[in-house]
Amino acid sequence: MTNAIEIRQLHYRAGRAFELKQLDLNVPSGAIYGFLGPNGSGKTTTIRLVLGLLRPLAGRITVLGDQIPDAAPRVLARVGYVPEHPHLDPTLTVRETLRFQAAFYPSWDWPCAQRLRREFELDEGATFGRLSKGQKGKLMSLLALAQRPDLLVLDEPTDGLDPVVRRDVLSALLDYVSQRQATVFISSHLVHELERICDWIGVMDNGRLITEVPMQRFKNGIKRLRVAGAPPTAAGAPFMILAREQANGGAETWVVRDWEPEMAAYFATIGAALNDVIDLDLEEGFVELLRTFRGPPS
Amino acid sequence: MFHVVLYSQWKWSRLIIALGSVAAFALPLVSVQGAARPDTSPLQAAELLQSVQSWGTLYPVLAAALGLLVAIATWAPDHRGRHVHALSLPLPRWRYVLLRFGGGATLLAAPVIAVAASALLATWSATIPAGLQGYPVALAIRFALAVLVAYAVFFAVSAGTARTAGIILGLIGGVILVQIVAGVANIDLDLFGKVQVAVLNWPGPLAIFTGRWMLIDV
Repeated sequence: MTNAIEIRQLHYRAGRAFELKQLDLNVPSGAIYGFLGPNGSGKTTTIRLVLGLLRPLAGRITVLGDQIPDAAPRVLARVGYVPEHPHLDPTLTVRETLRFQAAFYPSWDWPCAQRLRREFELDEGATFGRLSKGQKGKLMSLLALAQRPDLLVLDEPTDGLDPVVRRDVLSALLDYVSQRQATVFISSHLVHELERICDWIGVMDNGRLITEVPMQRFKNGIKRLRVAGAPPTAAGAPFMILAREQANGGAETWVVRDWEPEMAAYFATIGAALNDVIDLDLEEGFVELLRTFRGPPS
Repeated sequence: MFHVVLYSQWKWSRLIIALGSVAAFALPLVSVQGAARPDTSPLQAAELLQSVQSWGTLYPVLAAALGLLVAIATWAPDHRGRHVHALSLPLPRWRYVLLRFGGGATLLAAPVIAVAASALLATWSATIPAGLQGYPVALAIRFALAVLVAYAVFFAVSAGTARTAGIILGLIGGVILVQIVAGVANIDLDLFGKVQVAVLNWPGPLAIFTGRWMLIDV
């Protein structure tokens, strides 16, 4: 499997407070890769490095087979980008904004742009500065899709949008991806949204990539276990214990990673009983993962 | 590509260009307003020269103001979007800068044409006393060059970040401070004179703004 985005040993520093360290990241071609992380973890910075908007101090970035930032213009012609904040000229109308964008992209698809404009109910004569937040989000998604990109880079594309607009934008993105087999690199802290659409997941915290796994493996591998009679230290566990908390009646709740059903036998070897195995959703798994990364398990 | 960049800059600069063109058209006509009479005597010729000369001081001011305002308006849409849109477009940065520069320079053609047309009209309609000559084309060319120089300087400054502008302002402020301190301490230091000579005297970069701007001269 080839990678649409490959980052190796990336190092970037922004002032004294923030730095990306030794970042390795792989976005497989054709995947919808969810890029998760709390605010300030480095998601937007990584995205800007991927697009050549920022220059790294060290490391290598390859996007669609070309090196960034050297080949940025060639790469950007094949990338649709929706940034975190609206950035378009506020004096241009929707019609003028489409014309402006179309002039820079040889692959621009006018029929697609017009269809999406109608679907999104965007008034051609309204200036960008006067559009609502939801309409701005729709227009920026429209611009990214109408240039027929091989890679969509979306930085919090639905942040602050109401559920109806969010659904419209996401369904347009998914339609496009299913037709074109494009790769999507989407950052968000709306974890439930990513859970629905992504097949890969990467989690950033404090400038480092904590994990990068297929979504199914991430979700299946993180479980909450109800355990009774466990000794204070659980030596030789075949899974990683992310959290361990006291529950009612002397029982404990463990949150574990890399869980497989056959690992239940382990509890007999330490004189404990496994009473229940509970699936965690992505958000719970994400929170537990961050908690483990930031401090030792309780 | 150029036409869309030009259009976007037109939307930001149109008021400046419109007002600048009106002022540029008015200036040559106003400067010769006393010379439209057929009975112009040698005494009135001296008055005419004085009038042309005094109004002539406004050409470099207008050129500098147009250069400054259009340069600011040229980068305004990109500054508003923190350059994210510009940087994510699929073209080399130098080419984008050239497109922006070309857009502003093209718009500035309007006031330059206004000066040229008005200067030609003024010299054609005025009765120029014997011994004096009209220089409408030379004046228009000089105005065009002054506008271009001012635009290029301010375009370069505006292209930078707030930090760059701060460094430039800091340098200017530093020179002023050193001069003030030297004056208070009775030190024989004339920084302004040296800067003035280096910048405003030929072949200094701003020499075009100095000297007499005469539509009608000997």
